[in-house]
Amino acid sequence: MEEFNNYINILNEEEQTLLKDFFASFSEHCLLNKEIKQALKTDFEKAILYYHKKGIDLQTALLYLDIKNLGGFYARPPVLWFPLDDAAKIYPLSMAHDRMAIFRLSAYLKNNIVPEILQMALNFSIKRFPTFATTLKKGFFWHYLDTTKRRFSVEEENDVPSQLIKVSVSGSQSFRVKYYKNRISIEFFHVLTDGAGGMEFLKSLTAEYLKLLGTNMSQNNLILDINEEPAKEEYENAFKNVPNSAEASGFVDKMALQMDGKLSKIKPCKIIHFKMNSNDLKRTSKKYQATITSYLLALMFIAGKSATDKLTGEISIQVPVNMRKYYPSKTLRNFSMYCGIRLSIDEITKVENIIGEITKQLNDKASKEEMSKMVTQTKKLTNMLKYVPLSIKAPIAKIVYGFLGDKIFSNTLSNLGVINLPKEIAGEIESMDFILGTAITNRAGCSVVTVNNITTFSISKMTADPTFEEKIYELLKQEKIDVVVEGSALYEN
Amino acid sequence: MKIKITYPEVAPEKVKHQKLINFIKWPLLSAVIICPILNIVTGGKAWSLVVIMAIYMLWDLVISRDLVEYNRISQFVKLITLTGLLLTIIDIFLVPGWAIEAVSILIFSGLIVTAILFFTDLERQKQNIFPFLFLILLSIFSSIIGLSFYHQEDNWGLAVMGSIALILLIAINFVLKDNIINELKKGFHTM
Repeated sequence: MEEFNNYINILNEEEQTLLKDFFASFSEHCLLNKEIKQALKTDFEKAILYYHKKGIDLQTALLYLDIKNLGGFYARPPVLWFPLDDAAKIYPLSMAHDRMAIFRLSAYLKNNIVPEILQMALNFSIKRFPTFATTLKKGFFWHYLDTTKRRFSVEEENDVPSQLIKVSVSGSQSFRVKYYKNRISIEFFHVLTDGAGGMEFLKSLTAEYLKLLGTNMSQNNLILDINEEPAKEEYENAFKNVPNSAEASGFVDKMALQMDGKLSKIKPCKIIHFKMNSNDLKRTSKKYQATITSYLLALMFIAGKSATDKLTGEISIQVPVNMRKYYPSKTLRNFSMYCGIRLSIDEITKVENIIGEITKQLNDKASKEEMSKMVTQTKKLTNMLKYVPLSIKAPIAKIVYGFLGDKIFSNTLSNLGVINLPKEIAGEIESMDFILGTAITNRAGCSVVTVNNITTFSISKMTADPTFEEKIYELLKQEKIDVVVEGSALYEN
Repeated sequence: MKIKITYPEVAPEKVKHQKLINFIKWPLLSAVIICPILNIVTGGKAWSLVVIMAIYMLWDLVISRDLVEYNRISQFVKLITLTGLLLTIIDIFLVPGWAIEAVSILIFSGLIVTAILFFTDLERQKQNIFPFLFLILLSIFSSIIGLSFYHQEDNWGLAVMGSIALILLIAINFVLKDNIINELKKGFHTM
């Protein structure tokens, strides 16, 4: 890099020696092939140049970029591999050339993102998440995740959110780190993790990024320390720890009503975020003696009804349930199940008329017992299929998924809850959002996350018809909740 | 409702390949249904099985390409395995008596080409070894079974196929420094 060579020339002898020793140490810590090593070295050079331009002296810059942050990740050949957890097994089986289970988590910082520093934060953080530093592979019976040692790259956002990730190439990664203005986003293929696991990665990456920019962080147990050894429990297929229940139940249900808007060719065709004060939302939910999830579900039922002209049938909303609340686990992999909240379209009138029933269904269907039944069913199914070759399972799963797909639900509401951050990090973060990937027939997917007392309700749209989001906005306004609406323009060919 | 745009303006790419799949699948599916019916109605040899196998090959190798593990080793091994299967079907149902020799020649040639593909890009292809190992083990297994039960003059191909597969297994074991068991564990895991 010419700019870096020019920079070296202006350094004094002592600084040049310091830099030489630094890169000698880098060479000891990076024993990957020449191409990757050079790319990583360039990352360091760009970061050093950034610090220089910001007036930070070389010694401080090298302290920030301490080589020990690389650990042994780039110095050792890949050894680990991970069978897919019970929930993840379906994702590679059911994906198609235009369909992949992807979700996205974003953090909005107070300042614009510095790409050079974000890249270094990723270079340093990835070792803490061995199950993410993997590539998806095909075995004879099941897919699995094989460790891949490479430079995982960050990219500027210049595409529709949650697009397919190309996982077919040798050593390809199953997640994407993007940045745009003041936003860091990570898009995950669900095969790696669920929302809770993904959030741990986003928190660690963001914390490391801020640390590299000079934010001091005190010891805390809210964010995984990137220089700590990963615990074995973080890799585990936590479904194995759920005791089998006497009954197994779960996946089959009646077809649900879909919103009538024409399915868009680009999926998602629009992203909308409603950013609200959490206290306002809590106050309103309390008024209905319900939780925020129940209240938002009520709004979604009413908005869903207004987005269809059909007069009969049931609207069903899928609600993912984090199993960690019933079976505490440190796993960073998938450990969620789901339930479906159903209301006949005739019943859907006003919030006060339906919220009781929604709360009741939510308590019953998302209970520990019901979730355990679903886990038992999942385990039974994977056990039954374990000796069937993948070449037979995959086409059958694809056909079955193609027929059923998401038709038993009209919509989804995934609530990641309140994200607690150490005060030093929280002070640098404005808000967060969470976007669900594309569905097959559902016209919208909704998700919620709360941080710093700001609740972001996001809608990932699969139809251009704006009725659904406009109705939700109107209902929130009726409750005198201040809403800031952000999002994308309509994506069209 | 006024939306503050917080996403970059982009020109979305069209998913062309899925469109192609959707367009081609119906004529192929019709052929898969019509051919066996025609075959049953007109009688004679089971030629429709060959047609179905050929359509499957076209579908799997060209039209609906693999979404996981699409690399030169996996695709070449797949081509060899499916071609071997097609030749076997032709031998069983149409023109009998030549497949053992032809398929074994096909497979040992395939093994040699796969070995070239593997060893000329060793660093990257190490991650893609399972399909190659699978073909090697399949060849050794078929060779042992074939040589045990088939004692005709044209069984030389089976012996060559088995020998080449064995040599390659030893070579890979040497290159992977005894990691071959780990690769097999990954590939055949049922967890």
